[in-house]
Amino acid sequence: MKSPSMTGCERVSRMFARREQDRVPRCDSFWPETITRWQREGLTGDYDEVMRRLGADFQSLCWCWPAPFPGRREVLSQDAETETVRDAWGGVARFWKGRSGTPEHISFGCDSRAAWETTYRPALLAAPLAANLPDARRCAAEGRALGRWTHLTGVEGFEALRRLIGDEACLVAMIEDPEWVRDIVDVHTDIVLRTFEALMAGGLEPEGLWIYGDMAYNHATMCSPAMYRDLVWPAHKRMAEWAHSRGQRVIYHTDGHVRQVLDLYIAAGFECLQPIEAKAGMDIREFAPAYGARLAMFGNIDVMKMATNDLGLIEEEMRTKFAAGMATRGYAYHSDHSVPPQVSWDTYRAIIGFVERYGTY
Amino acid sequence: MPQLTDLTAAVAAGKRIDTVRITQELLAAGISPQDIVERGLVPGMAIVGEQFKRNEIFVPEMLVAARAMKEALKLLEPLLASAGIKPKYTAIIGTVQGDLHDIGKNLISMMWRGANFAVVDLGTNVSPERYLAAAKEHKANLVGLSALLTTTMPAMKDTVRIIKAAGLTGTKIMIGGAPITQAFADEIGADGYAADAGTAVDIAKKLVEQAA
Repeated sequence: MKSPSMTGCERVSRMFARREQDRVPRCDSFWPETITRWQREGLTGDYDEVMRRLGADFQSLCWCWPAPFPGRREVLSQDAETETVRDAWGGVARFWKGRSGTPEHISFGCDSRAAWETTYRPALLAAPLAANLPDARRCAAEGRALGRWTHLTGVEGFEALRRLIGDEACLVAMIEDPEWVRDIVDVHTDIVLRTFEALMAGGLEPEGLWIYGDMAYNHATMCSPAMYRDLVWPAHKRMAEWAHSRGQRVIYHTDGHVRQVLDLYIAAGFECLQPIEAKAGMDIREFAPAYGARLAMFGNIDVMKMATNDLGLIEEEMRTKFAAGMATRGYAYHSDHSVPPQVSWDTYRAIIGFVERYGTY
Repeated sequence: MPQLTDLTAAVAAGKRIDTVRITQELLAAGISPQDIVERGLVPGMAIVGEQFKRNEIFVPEMLVAARAMKEALKLLEPLLASAGIKPKYTAIIGTVQGDLHDIGKNLISMMWRGANFAVVDLGTNVSPERYLAAAKEHKANLVGLSALLTTTMPAMKDTVRIIKAAGLTGTKIMIGGAPITQAFADEIGADGYAADAGTAVDIAKKLVEQAA
């Protein structure tokens, strides 16, 4: 592997500016079980060691997801495999014990507008800020030492809405009570930005803001583009404007098929899309030529192909998608979701090799 | 007096109050509950499914339509039961073992109910043995398997294998979920795959009619 001629911070900043880079910026995500498998197969170290070997260029400073009852985790029942917990958002969900996976949401405490107005809204507004400044400073120092591009990380309003009142209530409310939806999204956004302000006041100087909010599934966005534009987009725009006014770049994370709303993302001020889920029909080879100048592409390497451990198939996936993304100079490597435990350590080491081979300018 | 087509339009538009009111008026006018379901409500949900497939409507519109139908069915189901009328087809649905995700499953369940299937929802983290037992108990025409995660896809293969090995010739198996493809369905021997909730109704109808 050649020695890099730029720091990660320089590289990512140049990617946003579409200026020359030595290689594409890199980052990735993994299921915990994937790291466990790799440790059995010879990985010495943990997630951080994989990031080091990959040559990761990004460093998060915080994870901001305001909750009305921070720290609450009340185990209501359990069996051999799962435990049912009332959480910091007032909901009851069943989680796996000792392994990752999406929980089963059983009920939501914030189950009506009245519950929101009398209990959850006041609790959210009264809760301590969802930030840990000492931790953020430590991450910032680590990021600077490694030359990485540092960023604040926070959840946007739609994801917060779903977490608080549940998917079904959320999506029905978007039709039947849009003012309630706007209020939840706005209150959440206010608190997130207030939290980021507090971190910045504490001396942090991140290069970017990475916003998380899944708003689509494998076929389309959860709501129509018009409904998104009306109810959620203004808060997205507000977050992006906040970041831009402080000299930060904006990455937006969403799973699912979001092809129909790319123009709205750009209009909101999002400058980079991640992770661009291939199994949801998202393919940068198709839309990078049209959008790559305005929206950097971060990811899109199909984990389903990785999971085959077929190096020929994976190499072709990476070669062609890197070529499409790099043609705009606005491309960074990431899998299209999280690398699953079907992927062997040998395969992932080969993937790192492909990143090096095809991701060098 | 309202017509059945008015009921169809009300359901398709997700107008819950109108749907219930029109259902009550049609009953009062002597229209049979079975006709109200089959010629009023089901065509409304069929419109919803078609519009959803074409991305003309999205999940919120589908949900409010399903809710409207559900409210109307609350009025009709006791009448249908007392007359001994049941849906023609029964479907079992669940999320496979190792997976607690339920959003997709719930949407498909709503749409199948909207197509006048009797739906037995087994919930999440359903073992192959539970699917099989439920398929036998309810004489299911269809078994639907949902998975969100690439890590839980292998559980679909086990479930399909066990149900097929039991020789339930009248039971078809459909799979779906974010990581699922037609190629995977073919690979594990599932009878059908649907990419979305609208298509899931079409495939389900096709499969059960083939098996009938």
